[in-house]
Amino acid sequence: MFHQYRVRKVAADLETQLVERQSRDLMTEYLPVVEAPDAIWRAIELSLMRPDRVVRRTHLPWAWASVGVVFLIGAVGWLAWRHGREWIETDARSRVVVTVGAIGTVEVEPNTRVRVVRDRASEHRFALAHGEIRASITAPPKLFFVDTASGTAVDLGCEYSLSTDEDGTGVLRVTRGWVSFQWNGLESLVPAGASCRTRAHAGPGIPYFDDAPEALKRAADRGDFDAVLRPARVRDTLTLWHVLSRVDSNRRGQVFDRIAALTPVPPGISRDLVLRLDRETLTRFKDELAWTW
Amino acid sequence: MDAPSQKALVDPSGVNLGGPRLSAELLEACRAGDRDAFRALYDAYKDRVYSIAFYFFHGDAGAASDVTQQVFLKLITSIRQFRGEAEFSTWLYRMVVNVCLDIARARRGDAASADRTRLEAVAATGSHEEDYARSQMASSVRAAVAGLPAKFRIAVLLRYFEDLSYEEMAKALHCSMGTVASRLSRGHKMLAERLKELMTGRI
Repeated sequence: MFHQYRVRKVAADLETQLVERQSRDLMTEYLPVVEAPDAIWRAIELSLMRPDRVVRRTHLPWAWASVGVVFLIGAVGWLAWRHGREWIETDARSRVVVTVGAIGTVEVEPNTRVRVVRDRASEHRFALAHGEIRASITAPPKLFFVDTASGTAVDLGCEYSLSTDEDGTGVLRVTRGWVSFQWNGLESLVPAGASCRTRAHAGPGIPYFDDAPEALKRAADRGDFDAVLRPARVRDTLTLWHVLSRVDSNRRGQVFDRIAALTPVPPGISRDLVLRLDRETLTRFKDELAWTW
Repeated sequence: MDAPSQKALVDPSGVNLGGPRLSAELLEACRAGDRDAFRALYDAYKDRVYSIAFYFFHGDAGAASDVTQQVFLKLITSIRQFRGEAEFSTWLYRMVVNVCLDIARARRGDAASADRTRLEAVAATGSHEEDYARSQMASSVRAAVAGLPAKFRIAVLLRYFEDLSYEEMAKALHCSMGTVASRLSRGHKMLAERLKELMTGRI
């Protein structure tokens, strides 16, 4: 019996190797390396000469054109902060752009109060008391953090905006990469194109894509997890995956089944382990689902 | 961006698997902000990054240029953070994967059929210089790769163009080595299914 199993396994391995080799041969022959056009380097050089474009792809030229002017206004406040004031505070008409080491920039929007808590190569940490910031970070994950009253936004290599009021009620909106929002062991992972509410004394809400059905967004915002299930699309497994760990074990099965109805459950993901909130299984499940996000 | 002409395609025999190794001197110069060093780094990797993006986005030269530009801008602006604990190529291809997926998400909704048409158009530009059968083969292989689900496609392309180990791929794709093995195996099987007729003559 064992011998037969070994023979079958060896045969399967050989078949896999053969298939890979044949695919590879065909690709070597028919998928040539394509030469990158010269224009790309020229575009990169142009961006490097214009620092504001290094960290941001500009989609709203008119809006960003004003950044230069605003920067001058904000620079006054920033210099004042550099000379002894701990907090950066903008009024209704000013905006500040803060350079974060060599890893990016933070734009401090009007009516915002923010403080640089730590500024080291291994950790850049801001505290946002109220208002809104726009962070654009190009660095390995977990180097840039923003603390608010309702939790901490952890940069995973991205571009995002974060607004909050004094008690921590606000919105995290990600436009590139990923951001993790954490509070008291509760975590929401928010990819590009998605948003997440932050709530006083409750941490991160359930994230959803900005193009998700309105019914789903409303249900997620008010924590009505049952109402999230029906309108969910394949892409909204982002929301459903987060709901898994926010509902009691009796309702968790329904959430899993809804995900399974939307997209095939990847091999090796056990329903039982998911329902038991096995950390490793949930992470693998998320990694697989993320291909549809 | 213009679509690459047939002349821009490197001769298939020029495929260089294995990848350049980044010297400590070059890395140090890049960290110091040496523009020539960045250019050398860019020259060493640009075609491979561009090719992966090109085939990932079904032959869309604009998307491939966008990915290449974003990847190298990120790299240049954050190379000081690269401490050398990991292989440089792993770090680089992690960025490639992230940027490809970000752009794919942003472009969600584009009709796959339109992409496929674009790819076939690229493949067809050389057909007048090659015999018809070869052009059909090339077109089929490219279409088969383009038709793979994203997670299998990027795994197969990384394996093919960069010849990364499973461990390096796991880091680049942010998943376990078992998942890498599974994706490669399933990706190659799907390719084989799609290319069965082409392969029959090779066994």
